[in-house]
Formats: sequence, C-alpha cells, structure tokens
Amino acid sequence: MAHGGKKQMNWKIWLLIFFVLGSLLAIFPLDFTKGVEISSVEQNSEAFNQGLRQGMIIIQIDDTPIQSLEDYYASISKFPTEENIKLVIKTKSSNFVLFTNESPKITIEEIDTTRIKTGLDLSGGARALVKAENKDLTDNELKDLIAVSNERLNVYGLKDIQIKPVKDLGGNNFMLVEIAGSTPTELEELIGKQGKFEAKIGDEVVFEGGEKDITYVARTGEQSGIYSCDQFEGGHICNFRFAITLSESAANRHADITCNLSTNQSLPQYLEKKLDLYLDETLVDSLFIGRELKCSKTTQIQISGSGQGLTRDEAYENSVQEMNQLQTVLISGSLPFKLEIVKLDTISPLLGDEFINSILLAGISAIIAVGVVVLLRYRKLKLSLAVLLTSLSEVLIILGVSALFSRNLDLPAIAGIIAAIGTGVDSQIIILDESRITTIALKERIKRALYIIMGTYLTTLAALLPLMWAGAGLLKGFAITTIIGISTGVFITRPAFSEIVKKILKD
Amino acid sequence: MEHIEEDNSQKKFQNWYNKNYKKLLIIPLILFILAVYNLGSSYYSTGDFLQKDITLTGGTSITILTQNEKINLDEFSEYLNGELDDFTLRELSDFGSGNQKAVILETVSELETVKPTIEEYLGYALNSENSSVESTGSSLGESFYTQLRIAILISFIFMALIVFFIFRNFVPSFAVVISAFADIIMTLALMNFLGMKLSSAGITAILMIIGYSVDSDIMLTNRLLKQHGNTDKKLKEAFKTGITMNITSIIALSVALIIIQSFSIVLQQIFTIILIGLGFDVLNTWITNVSILKWHMEEKNK
Repeated sequence: MAHGGKKQMNWKIWLLIFFVLGSLLAIFPLDFTKGVEISSVEQNSEAFNQGLRQGMIIIQIDDTPIQSLEDYYASISKFPTEENIKLVIKTKSSNFVLFTNESPKITIEEIDTTRIKTGLDLSGGARALVKAENKDLTDNELKDLIAVSNERLNVYGLKDIQIKPVKDLGGNNFMLVEIAGSTPTELEELIGKQGKFEAKIGDEVVFEGGEKDITYVARTGEQSGIYSCDQFEGGHICNFRFAITLSESAANRHADITCNLSTNQSLPQYLEKKLDLYLDETLVDSLFIGRELKCSKTTQIQISGSGQGLTRDEAYENSVQEMNQLQTVLISGSLPFKLEIVKLDTISPLLGDEFINSILLAGISAIIAVGVVVLLRYRKLKLSLAVLLTSLSEVLIILGVSALFSRNLDLPAIAGIIAAIGTGVDSQIIILDESRITTIALKERIKRALYIIMGTYLTTLAALLPLMWAGAGLLKGFAITTIIGISTGVFITRPAFSEIVKKILKD
Repeated sequence: MEHIEEDNSQKKFQNWYNKNYKKLLIIPLILFILAVYNLGSSYYSTGDFLQKDITLTGGTSITILTQNEKINLDEFSEYLNGELDDFTLRELSDFGSGNQKAVILETVSELETVKPTIEEYLGYALNSENSSVESTGSSLGESFYTQLRIAILISFIFMALIVFFIFRNFVPSFAVVISAFADIIMTLALMNFLGMKLSSAGITAILMIIGYSVDSDIMLTNRLLKQHGNTDKKLKEAFKTGITMNITSIIALSVALIIIQSFSIVLQQIFTIILIGLGFDVLNTWITNVSILKWHMEEKNK
C-alpha cells in the first residue's frame, strides 16, 4: 500500500517535471547557430530581389563568419565602392550572391534568445480591422478580400503580415490584418481601398486593373522607375513611369476607341483625347496618346504619375510609394465592394522592452508576495516554497505552450497569465487547508480538495469561453492564456503540488 | 490566563454571530440597493449603466512618447480645451524615477482632426516612432460593447448552470450565484462612483471576478454541505481558508498594480477592477453567502 502510494507520487511529480522541462525546451531553442538575424529588407532592393528575407540568419559574408552585429558591420564596411562588386551572403539555409556598390539594404539584429513572441501592443506594429462599407461580408467575399489583400501586401513588398478572418458574436465578418515591427505609412491605402483602377478615354473604359486586362506589370529595370524630379510650387515633384502589357481584348478595345478620335489641334503629334487613369474614382493622371497609336492594337502601355513633397527626398519617396501602390492594384485588381477600416492601431515599438521588464517585475513581485503571505499563514518555509515553485512552473508551462504554438503574447494574454496564477494560488491554498484537516484520511481530504478545484475550474472555464468570439476576438489572448493556465493547474501542477504537500506534511 | 480570555471573547463573538447572522444580511442588501440605485440613475441620466472609454464608444487614443521632450500636462490640456470637445489626458511614468515617459490623449474625435491639432502644439509630426495611435470606429465600439455584455451574460449563465450542477441543491447554489452577481453589480457601481470608464479590457476583469468570486463560494459551500461535523467549526475553518485566498490575491494584485500602474493603462484597469471585485467578494462570501447557507442548513435541521 505504502509502496503504491509512493509510485503514484512519483508519477504526478514526474509529469510536472516533464512539462516544465518541455516548456523550457519550447521557450529556449537548443539551436546554437551563431549569426545575425535579418529584421527587415528594403523592398525592391538588390538584397530583396536576390531573395533575402526577414527572419533569415546570416552566418557568413564572403569568407568571414558572422557571429555578432560587429562582425556584420565590419564585413560590409568596404561599401560604398566605386564599382559593383560581388558579395556572397551565406544564411543558415542557402547562399545569396549580390552585385552591388553599396551595403545591402537590410537591417539586422541579434538572434532571439527565446521563442516567446510578444503581441503588437507590446512589441510594436499595426493592426487593422476591415469590413465592407454598408454591407455584410459573406464567408466567400471575406475569403476573396483576404486573398486580394494578401496579394496586394505581398506585391507591395510587406512581409511578416498576418491576415485572417474573424467572426464576432454578432455574426459579422471582418478581416484582421496584423503587421509586426514598424508601421508602413501606406497601410491604410493598401488595405482600406477598393483598388478600382480604370483607364478611360472620355467615358469609355479601355482597361481595368487585374489580370483580365493586364497581363504584365514591369516593376524593375529600365521599364519602371522615377525619371525626373523638379521644383514645383514651392515644393518638389518627382515623376514615375512603368510599362504594362495589355491582354488582347484590352488592346482591341484600345484600337476601337482610338479609331474614333481625331488629332489634337494645338498639339498635332497627339490625339484629341487623353487616356485618363482613375484609382477609386479619382483621377491619378492623364496621358497624351501619340498620333501613331490611332487604331493600333497596342499591348505596350506606359503608365505614369507623380509624387510631391516639401523636399526633393520626400517627393522622391512619395513618388516611389505612389508607383508601388499603383502597380499593386494593377496586379491585384479591384474588389467588388468598398472597404472601411473600423479599427486601426499602430503601436510604437519603442517602449516595448521597458514594458516587458516592468511586467516581469510585477509578476515576480506578485509571486513573491504570495510566498510571503503563505509563509506568514502556515509558518512553514517548505510549503511557501512549494507554492512559489508551483506558481512559477505554471507560468513556465503557459509560456512554453504559447511558444510551442507560436501564439503572440499581447497585453490581454499577459493579464490572463496573471489571472490564471491568481486562481492557481487560490486552489493551492484550498489544497493546503484541506490536507491539514486531521479528522479524515489524508487521501480522502486531498480527493475532496480536487473536487472543489474541479468545480472552480469548470466555472472559470465556462466564464471565459464567450471571450473567444466577443469583440472580434481581440481579447481572445486573455481567454486562451487563462484557459491554458487553469488547465495546467488542474491537470498537471496541482496534482503534483498535493503530492509535494503530502510529503512535506508527513515529514 | 490570557488564553482563556481570548477563548471567552471568541465564544462571545460566536454567540453574538449565531444570534445575529441573519441581520448581517442587511449590510450587503443596503450596499446592493445603493449599487443598483447608482447604476439605475446613471442609466436614467446618460442612457447607459456605465461610463465607457473610447474602446467601447469609438474614438482615438494617442500615446505620445516624451522621452526626449517632456510635455507640460496643464498647458497641453489648456490648449486642447479650445480645440477638442471631449478628451482625457494621462501620463505614463517610469516606476523608479517617476519621469514622464509618455502622454496619453483619449478623445471621441476622429484621428483626422486630432492629429493635426496635436502636431500643431508639439511642433513636430507624429509617426510610428514617436507615438502610438489606436482608433476605433463608433459603430465597432458599440458592437464591441453589446457583444461583451452578451459575453458576460453567457459567462454568468454558464457559471450558474455549473454551480447548480455541482451542488444539485437550490438554496446553496442560489447563494453562490447571488453572491457572484452582487460582486459584479457592486464593483460596477463603485467604478461608476469613482468615475472610472470601462474599457474592453476591463470587461475581461469582470469575467475574472466571476471566476474568483465563485472560487471561495464553492469552497465554502462544499465544506459546509459535504463534510460532517459541527457547522460552526466547519465555518471557522472555511473562513480561514477563504480569507487566506482572498488576502493572497489582494496582496499579489496590489503589488502588481503598484508596479504596472505607471506603465500600462490596460493592465491598470484590469487589476483595479479585480481588486474592487475581490474586496466586495470578501463581504459577499462571508456575509451574503454564509448567512443564506447557514440559514438554509438550520431550517433543514429543524
């Protein structure tokens, strides 16, 4: 009998140890690769075009192993050079060869030491909740919206983006877009716009955005770029142009429509009407149509536009942005409905680290405070330590499970951890007190404690469930970490805790 | 000698308590009526039981990081008075030094009108490096509020069903449920009274109150109903356990609140609401719930 009891005790405590070790492994990867991690890659740069992406780990440049940020900066200190030179960047998985005269347009950081990911509200980033204007999205429309938005953001060159459908308790469909790191200023334009592009001559539509009319959009090389910058009304203006290829049907339409046009009287080298480019019903640009294009089934069209700014740099930057946006909607096409951004949060990454430190400080202080109260009440250091260890292992397991499933820990999630630890401590106190009642057998007492705990577990679980859906799921993190926490408590840590308590009380 | 005196006073208290425990119910009853009155009059004057912040009404919250250039709150507030209709200004500061880290402006106005106003005062443009912006459309805010209210309602019903299922005994289950209900109503009323505005994150705290509240109630009911022995003795033991639970939670949360309050408005509200709830839970567990339960057991034993 005593033997059996001992065996059981081992089993429960081993289970706890197993989970704690597993969580530690999930949080701290056993990957001793030395290198630096790419934190961002400038879109359309040489580095980007050669395939370097965010999250890759650089381990070697040319023949120099890269183990630290210093190594990296030393190895690219030769730039800028007079002429393009060959640069071989070796990452964990492959080699990239760049021919360049300037340092790669990437930013780097030390490799993350843990797999714990923090949410946008801690680490910075942008989050947008999008719905259709004046209509309810069906499941299929939402799927289309997400596909188009994904394509747009990818074509635009934004990475580390998550787009997912969310449904709330009211049955409304939303698209949730989350972008980690610093926020692109053009985000609103990219996800909040219908993206309806039309090229018209007079009132007649020649072609629209999307693959039906446009088979190719030039984005690099000679056929795409900024070609001039000028002073303009006290500011600067930069002009961009890029080539597109029209489908045959669009080319036919072009021929038919231009056949009916006569020559421009004041500028005889052009036709009388212009090709007007509209984006979401606003005129972006008007292009003269060369006389020689009359009735021609032209498939090559040059699209142009401009960006303005107070300084030349700003104008250049804006112009690049405008060009990118236009190219993006030409490729991805239009959505069949107008969109509305109902919630847009952009969180600065600057306070993130301090924030996490103060949360850690708060958490550790709270657990120590619990330890002190338990010590004062029960006057047994061992019991107090057992409570401390149990609570800490609950935190570890919650973090481990979150890391394992790559769940981002946001503020509600952290509040959830604290809430779970709070109820955990409550249950431990119930176990402690139940085990001290000496009128009935210890085993019976602990069984009863577990009965109470099961009851409170189920009620808390039930209380949390609606939060998984309410409010477009933005508070889901709270529900999830609390549920992981209290489940861990009931099935793993508390059974072990009661075994430990049994042992301490027997001594 | 001293020991006997202590025993005597305990006995005296025991006798007094056994005679008067029903009358004690008046205390939570009065508080409950006051709370309902507070919520009701708030509903009457504003059309809602509670004051909500912009996460539930829609609006804009801008956090301006001020590590490099401190903002004088009084001057800023005076300037904004002429520009925005309805706003609140708060300050985040470093826990150790108390230095200003950021200023948070919350307003129901739209971002498009707020941003230029602030930029004009600051003299520089706001971007994702020097500020954080959260904006919620008013229709979304309202739908959040509706849904989160439904969430609380569903949670409460689930909880009640499980409590009834566990004890399968009407009066004791009812006592647990009514205590949790009183906890929530009293907490909401006190928040109103203190002028706190409920945020969407605050609603998670209310859900947690349901959880915490039921914890001690289930323990109490279980001890009293399912264990043999003298009711008074069982009650005393249950009280010891329950009050330890409450005190540890209150102390742990207070410590966390002190550290976090200068830094996160979201966590600050969550912890404050749970703390208020735990305070009322002491009252409702050890007066409301105990008195109803004891009454019920005595009636049954007659």
